[in-house]
Amino acid sequence: MSTVESNPVESDFLASLLAPAAQTAEGHDLWLKARRASALERASALSVPTTRDEDWRFTDLSMLYRLKLKAADAGGQVDSAILTTLMFPEATTRLVFVDGHFDRSASSIAQEEKVRVGNLEQALRDSAWRSTLGEVESRLATVARVEHDVFAAANTAFLREAAIVHVAAGAQLGDTPIQVINVATGHATGSNPRVLVVAGQGSGCTVIEDYVAVGGSAYFTNSVCEIAIGPDAEVHHIKLQREADTAFHIANTTVLMQDNSRYRNWSVGVGGRISRHNLHVVQDGTGIDCDMHGLAMISGRQLADTHSSVDHALPYGASRQVHKTIAGGSAHAVFNGKILVREGAQQTNSSQQSRNLLLSQRAKVDTKPQLEIFADDVKCAHGATVGQIAADEVFYLKSRGLSETAARNLLTYAFAKEVVEHIPVASVIAVLENHILEQTRTKEA
Amino acid sequence: MSAVIQNLVNQPYKHGFHTDIESDIVPKGLNEDVVRVISAKKREPDWLLEFRLKAFRHWQTMIEPEWPNVKYPKIDFQDISYYSAPRPKATKKSMDEVDPELLRTFEKLGVPMHERAALAGVAVDVVFDSVSVTTTYKEKLAEVGIIFCSFSEAVRDHPELVKQYLGSVVPHTDNFYAALNSAVFSDGSFCYIPKGVKCPMDLSTYFRINTQDTGQFERTLIIAEEGGQVSYLEGCTAPQFDTNQLHAAVVELIALDNAEIKYSTVQNWYAGDEEGKGGIYNFVTKRGLCKGFNSKISWTQVETGSAITWKYPSCVLLGDNSVGEFYSVALTNHHQQADTGTKMVHVGKNTRSRIISKGISAGLSNNSYRGLVKIGARADGARNYSQCDSMLIGDLCGAHTFPYLQVANKTATVEHEASTSKIGEEQLFYFSSRGIETEEAVSMIINGFVRDVFIHLPMEFAVEATKLLGLKLEGSVG
Repeated sequence: MSTVESNPVESDFLASLLAPAAQTAEGHDLWLKARRASALERASALSVPTTRDEDWRFTDLSMLYRLKLKAADAGGQVDSAILTTLMFPEATTRLVFVDGHFDRSASSIAQEEKVRVGNLEQALRDSAWRSTLGEVESRLATVARVEHDVFAAANTAFLREAAIVHVAAGAQLGDTPIQVINVATGHATGSNPRVLVVAGQGSGCTVIEDYVAVGGSAYFTNSVCEIAIGPDAEVHHIKLQREADTAFHIANTTVLMQDNSRYRNWSVGVGGRISRHNLHVVQDGTGIDCDMHGLAMISGRQLADTHSSVDHALPYGASRQVHKTIAGGSAHAVFNGKILVREGAQQTNSSQQSRNLLLSQRAKVDTKPQLEIFADDVKCAHGATVGQIAADEVFYLKSRGLSETAARNLLTYAFAKEVVEHIPVASVIAVLENHILEQTRTKEA
Repeated sequence: MSAVIQNLVNQPYKHGFHTDIESDIVPKGLNEDVVRVISAKKREPDWLLEFRLKAFRHWQTMIEPEWPNVKYPKIDFQDISYYSAPRPKATKKSMDEVDPELLRTFEKLGVPMHERAALAGVAVDVVFDSVSVTTTYKEKLAEVGIIFCSFSEAVRDHPELVKQYLGSVVPHTDNFYAALNSAVFSDGSFCYIPKGVKCPMDLSTYFRINTQDTGQFERTLIIAEEGGQVSYLEGCTAPQFDTNQLHAAVVELIALDNAEIKYSTVQNWYAGDEEGKGGIYNFVTKRGLCKGFNSKISWTQVETGSAITWKYPSCVLLGDNSVGEFYSVALTNHHQQADTGTKMVHVGKNTRSRIISKGISAGLSNNSYRGLVKIGARADGARNYSQCDSMLIGDLCGAHTFPYLQVANKTATVEHEASTSKIGEEQLFYFSSRGIETEEAVSMIINGFVRDVFIHLPMEFAVEATKLLGLKLEGSVG
């Protein structure tokens, strides 16, 4: 964060962001209280980032800093019919948070052996959770990095409600995903959603982290997601960002992986006036494998920024990443992908691709794939391309009778599909494909 | 395996010696008076003194950059002497008049000037420490109208050209070290290619750092008028010293319509000993401006020396259809650090750029590629291709890539790829199964790795550079 004296707008924003946290310090277990307090202290000591910070060079948050924040004691009302349309039928367990507050009546939790899913506030008081609370305590707010990130620290300062998914050792959920849905109604202008996934040794699960809007005004979502994957476990994580076009969305995802574990991530962002996703994967063991698929499809005056990092700390790790952006209108796509191979992380095999498609003259892309390598016996490669739809491909399709627009739409759709098609939940693919088609169709008109 | 490779790299610096020549040195320290003294000693016109003072005043407001991926103790800019010139003697008419000690120095370096110049057809403008001692082949170049001389001579004889172009590509406000250079630059080379002239020979300059504790601040300015073509070579070797020396040069290239400038560098400054003691700090600003339609600027560099290398030869592609190229091999060993790369700024339509960067890290060194490809909103049809590959030799070194791609035009096509690898056991096994020994195999693999860059070097440089890599890496693979 910036060391330069921040201007009044920025410091006022930080003060109003943190103010409600100080008032709600009471209650709960001591450890949680202590974590909130230290995060609050940390957040107050930091300043909010500006374009003077290298990590935020291309993402100007000054519009967010002018937003008047208002937290809500309870979430707004969401029509259950609307809510139903937002659910993915494959998910039998759904946790619904409205404006950052747990909505028990809208949620449904399937009773599965060895799997605990619920809201943190209830879990702390529920005897059924007792055996798993130790692990929750050791992971919650310790996986995410709050020391240098003012937004992650601010989120932690509010930590009382959170979606907790605990999968015990050996439990396999198969293809049944767990959907955590965060709905913004516009009732509050600031919320701090939080997700923790703990996957025990040899377990497997799929979690959909979903951000949607039913209200249209400007609001700020500041989310943190922590995922701890035990030895030999496998987690599939689908993050969908379907916020309103007027929203500010800042998300921090940190994944901590142990020996021989596997992590597969799909992050798709289509909403938000300004959205930022920080995705950190820490390979804290040997033989770890992860792959990440990112897609940002934006238009108008949207800005979508993804900063990812993969930390290969020990030998025999592998990582693959494909990040695609499609920018139309005056949209601005930003990508920064860092691969760090530490000393001794031999036999690391890592690849990273940044693919960017510019659809209009005013659209803009800033991308920086970055390698930092301190071990010699490794295979690391990255690539980046920025371009438009190829004229010869359009010509080929036109020669088969497609119109110019139809050909362009089809090629745009195909570009996006590579990221979407391997998502393990069929209805998520359907929803995203519809969205992509709609996006391209509106351009035809 | 690594033990053998290690032995291959650890070759003492062969150009390490120090020639005692009486020098005219300004006391250590930097203030306006020193800037005035430098200017006065060089009998400079007022406008140039003004340029220096403006730069110096601006420099005082700047802070040292900390963003490069390099670590070094803070430089005390008041502990450096900013001017050192061999004692002036009467102007030399022939080689016989040159200080025999100086000639012996060149001999030790393997640069028998007259022979080399005659045999290789290369005009050598020798910068010995800070003042050009002699210039050869001047007459031959003058016949076709080419001006090739030291910077001070250019200021004296062609002030209008220097005044017009000095600081036009790298303004004195550009960065900390460019500002410092603008204030205290000692001498350098000047080259002017008139309209429609293709330079009949490769031009070459030798830079050497000789007097202990003297920073060298060269200034090079090359202008190619409409349709002009030139290939310029710059080679560096330096004696072995214990204290770190600062080298902050500025190179400006200007290519007008249809002009072409090719700038090649082999840099082998003293890199410090095996413990990382001593060595040159090479903080250089090099930038070319493709000002005209269809112009082309090509940078080729082989960076093997210096304790720290921090340079980004760049191209600003202003003219429509202009072309920028950057070919680089950077080798680091022991405690060397390199943060190098390029910037390609596309402004004009249909501009093209190509970046090929090969980094080799061995020992405890760190090698970073940092590049920027920027496509402006009006650069329709701009095209860039970048490739940066790294090779790691040993498990204690580091290789890093920081490519920035900034695209604001949808008709642009930008491609970047990078890979990191090592010399594999299987590769060596393959060679040995064909009866080729490890040492030779390693050298063949490395030569294959850097080939894409070396083919762009002028002939004599390619030979020298190949030898240099072999020498530098002797003992590090095996």
